[in-house]
Amino acid sequence: MQKPPVLTVVLGVFAALLAIVPLGYLVLRLAEGIEAASAELARPRTFELLSNTVLLVVSVSLTALVVGVIQAWFVVRTNLSYPGFYAVVATVPLAIPSYVLALGYVSIFPWFSGFWASWLVLTMATAPYVFLAVSAALLRVDIAAEEVGRSLGLSRLQVFLKITWPQVRTSATAAVLLVSLYVLSEFGAIALLRFDTFTRAIYNAYRSSFDRTAAASLALVLVALTLVIVLLERRYRGDYLMQRPANPRRLKQDLGKLQTPVTLLLALFGLLGAGLPMAALLNWTMIGSSATDLGKLFAATLSSAGIALLAAIVVSIFALAVSIWVVLHKNKLGSFIEGLLWSNHALPAIVVGLALVFFGANVTPWIYQSIWLLMIAYLILFLPNGLAAMSTPLAQVPKGLTEVSQSLGQSYRKSLTKVILPIASPGLIAAAALVMLTVLKELPATLLLRPTGVETLATRLWSATEELAYAQAAPFALVLVIIAGLPALALNASVRKTYAEVNEE
Amino acid sequence: MSLLALTGITKNFGEGNVLKGISLEVQEDELVAILGSSGAGKSTLLRLIAGFEKPDQGEIVFDGNVVAGESFLPAEKRKIGIVPQDGALFPHLNVYDNIGFGIAKDPNKDSRIQQLLKLIELEGLEKRKPQELSGGQLQRVALARALAPKPKLVLLDEPFGALDAELRDRLRNDVRRIIHAEGVSAILVTHDQEEALSLADRVAVLREGRIIQVGTPTEIYNSPADIGIATFLGESVLIDGKVTEGKVATDLGKLTALNQVVEGQSGVVAIRSENFYLQPNQTGDSEVVGRVFFGHDAVVEVQTPTLKIKARSNGPFAPEVGMKVTVWVRGAVNFYPTK
Amino acid sequence: MKKIFAAALAAVSVVGLAGCAPADSDGDFVVYVGRSETLIQPLIDQYVAESGIEVQVRYAGSAELAAQILEEGDNSPADVFFAQDAGALGAVSKAGFLRELDAELLNLIAPEYRAADGTWMGASGRVRVFNYNTDQVSEAELPSSVLDLAGPEWRGRIGIAPTNSSFQAFVTALAKVEGEDVAAEWLSAMKENGVIYEKNSAILEAVESGQVDAGLINHYYWYAKGNEVGFENLNSEIAAFESQDVGNLRNVAGVGIVSEDPRAKDFVEFLLSETAQQYFVNETSEYPLIDGVEPMAGLTPLDQIPAPEFDLNDLEALEETLQLIRAAGLI
Repeated sequence: MQKPPVLTVVLGVFAALLAIVPLGYLVLRLAEGIEAASAELARPRTFELLSNTVLLVVSVSLTALVVGVIQAWFVVRTNLSYPGFYAVVATVPLAIPSYVLALGYVSIFPWFSGFWASWLVLTMATAPYVFLAVSAALLRVDIAAEEVGRSLGLSRLQVFLKITWPQVRTSATAAVLLVSLYVLSEFGAIALLRFDTFTRAIYNAYRSSFDRTAAASLALVLVALTLVIVLLERRYRGDYLMQRPANPRRLKQDLGKLQTPVTLLLALFGLLGAGLPMAALLNWTMIGSSATDLGKLFAATLSSAGIALLAAIVVSIFALAVSIWVVLHKNKLGSFIEGLLWSNHALPAIVVGLALVFFGANVTPWIYQSIWLLMIAYLILFLPNGLAAMSTPLAQVPKGLTEVSQSLGQSYRKSLTKVILPIASPGLIAAAALVMLTVLKELPATLLLRPTGVETLATRLWSATEELAYAQAAPFALVLVIIAGLPALALNASVRKTYAEVNEE
Repeated sequence: MSLLALTGITKNFGEGNVLKGISLEVQEDELVAILGSSGAGKSTLLRLIAGFEKPDQGEIVFDGNVVAGESFLPAEKRKIGIVPQDGALFPHLNVYDNIGFGIAKDPNKDSRIQQLLKLIELEGLEKRKPQELSGGQLQRVALARALAPKPKLVLLDEPFGALDAELRDRLRNDVRRIIHAEGVSAILVTHDQEEALSLADRVAVLREGRIIQVGTPTEIYNSPADIGIATFLGESVLIDGKVTEGKVATDLGKLTALNQVVEGQSGVVAIRSENFYLQPNQTGDSEVVGRVFFGHDAVVEVQTPTLKIKARSNGPFAPEVGMKVTVWVRGAVNFYPTK
Repeated sequence: MKKIFAAALAAVSVVGLAGCAPADSDGDFVVYVGRSETLIQPLIDQYVAESGIEVQVRYAGSAELAAQILEEGDNSPADVFFAQDAGALGAVSKAGFLRELDAELLNLIAPEYRAADGTWMGASGRVRVFNYNTDQVSEAELPSSVLDLAGPEWRGRIGIAPTNSSFQAFVTALAKVEGEDVAAEWLSAMKENGVIYEKNSAILEAVESGQVDAGLINHYYWYAKGNEVGFENLNSEIAAFESQDVGNLRNVAGVGIVSEDPRAKDFVEFLLSETAQQYFVNETSEYPLIDGVEPMAGLTPLDQIPAPEFDLNDLEALEETLQLIRAAGLI
């Protein structure tokens, strides 16, 4: 196989070096203050945080699983009226950053805070991941196998437990692990709802202690928790890409008298996951419309868009380089670097932000408080997303085309730019757009690393909520959902696939 | 008494498709094939028998009990085995657990599974997952799984559809052997006439929601009930004719009809392509204009003064293109009067 | 592809040039502000308009900014530190990162509102008050001392903002006046009795809406709210504790100069100008600190507040205070 182009190797190695900065720096810093760190970890407060965090992760994972499975089952496997509509309802919370969801609730119910509030908001925010995974798996379950089960004497319930569920379980498990990673690294919603988990405690420790070892040691505990879940996730990932049966037949169970109650239940989920909080924000925006500082809103939108665009370009350049390397020229170093970069996919943003603040102030003062330090944070956080999204379109370009092009007298490099990249470009551009939309919604790292004087939609919303000024926060939240959330939902490949398959008949 | 009796079964399925008054009986230890093109309602009929659907009208009696009609017995209570199109093995279970799925509580489960593994000639593959099996192996495991609880009837839904020709031949023989060894009745649904004729004790031809003809393979093949079946089952050449003096006068001479004929009637005779005899003859009025050689036989295209016919001829002795021949018809033919 | 790259490069350069270059390296004037943006940004805008000097402002908590300046050390991009309380300034000064101010500037205000070593000075005065919802707390229930709030009858009823530097300054004073043990005990009672918010303004909103019964805030948040919606429409009142109680702490928002940038002095002068002092009176209901500007009518004069005798220089023990608060598990 041809050697990878030099530029891709240079960019790949550079990205890998950056990727190890946050954790490396945290560990180094802690090694210097090992006593202070162990004292910090031995505090009763640390155990309180640990039990709060674990409690939230476990309970949200369980309820998100239940909600997602219920939605998927009724949409895919029953004669529910308008299943396509309810598929949209089940996925629409994906368009709403969880801190916006939390803001919506708090703005209606000022007392809405603590564990139960965080549990509800995060359940609704993460159930779509379960819905997508489980409905995809349910669509791939062979109905004929279920019928065989019945012909062998199993009741409907037994068929579900012994035949259907085992085929869905792997996808469901993988989705649940994704949900737990999400909850572990969630910052905005939990801080807004004033429930003390590691992310909020790290942020507060950072803000209110001169010795920042405390924040660093809490961050490492969070990373350790994350690692446990990542390892579990790795075990279950990839195993669940079942083929659709050659002759897919949809057998829809008749809901009969249950049609209305089920419709109401699914509508209730939709109301909790999007309808109610969005209506609240819309209402606040209208109420406060006279007081809304349109200049501020416009400036924040512009700087959000500018920053996200720049981030998308930076991340895409690196993602494309590494993808070309690992898809078209796979070698040992490439695989190693891909693995290294991918290992950051679950790193909580608050940890990356914290590490880079220290690192920037002490090691690289020339980019400290500049847009470039923020870009490095985004690169570390979102390169895994970019890689996943960009390697697919590259891998789909038929292998023989480069060879044909070379046999027609084009150099390898020309073949790459004239044949492969143009063919893959729609997928690559969609991937870059997705990165941009993801960056728009990012809160914790932006909060810690934004250059002085730069305010984005997310940080504006954040500072307004710190003062409980909901009418002020609402328009920023709405704009965020409209320019980032909804387009991201529309671009999401698995969402589109689910919509298409549900509406197939 | 028959094992299964369907009386006047009517069922709407899909858009404008309907089964119209199906009646059919299956005896103990009998293999019946339901033959029809796609959309004829074969699978729906099978699902009605299995108990996955309820008929709109009519009655199904199985093993002495009414299972559909006045009362309804759901699939899980009927004890009828099914083998779906592509096997539909449980993807999360290995071969052993797939076969043992329906006999989980049977104390002799293990010996029964071993017995079936031997019968389907897959001993030693107990631990394989379905993904690791070939198409033919999948189907045999699916059959063993259906047979494990010793049902009195097994339903086979196009079980050989996805396989290549050679494998299909082998598997057909295996299935026949296994079903007879188990002493179980079976209904095979297929669109492949060769499969139906070679495998079944009796064949029921289903067309547009009705059973047109039921009979042994020989009966069906030699005496198709109408032109449709005649052309659907094997290759037939249709020639106009008129009944004259008890025989059918055609451009190929006067032919003897197998069925009752009425003097003066006009109609069509169906002649099996293998029933032509082509006699090489320098002065014959017909000429060979095409020839496709298959080895064991050949299809020869012949231009007579008025007709162009396709005849199947013994391969090595098939006449060459350009030869003059005389066309004879062997044996009697079926005559279908014009309505 | 070339077009895409060209567009990308163009975008990068536009965003890069649009003021996002590293702060200070190209001579930006950077002010770290530990106060609410809503209150301070209009004043900054006024300064920019008057002086023609562009100001980059970084808003965050005062303690956070103090810690940040310490972490940044000599690399700090900050030229001026405008803090919400004297403690954050004292901590930065103690570490040696603040420059001595000119005597003529210092002498604009009374000595008790500035650093003994002249490294920082107050810009406006404020007082800690007890804010309570009139439907949920009767006058008879009003605590006579802030220490009473540790009692079981206040369980879950008091809004506090442990990450806010005004609260932290109060805790420092508590520890100095009553002793560290009393402070630690009071804080651990607050773990039960307190409801935690980010800011004074959030506490006030919560008290107003009845989400929490009472809270500890700076006086001017209540006045600002009253000016905005009309005092007759408020659901809450403010009260002082008994005379000399540490809960009535008198404090200043103050300013110190971090760098050699000449614009820093100019900015500090502006904060102590009549314009700015009048702004604090009119817009934020704070106390002016220079002679010739009178506080808002109806406000108890600063020297008549029943505040404890307390040297604001002692607030520099911010680090110890933060450890106390963290030890209590409030952060």
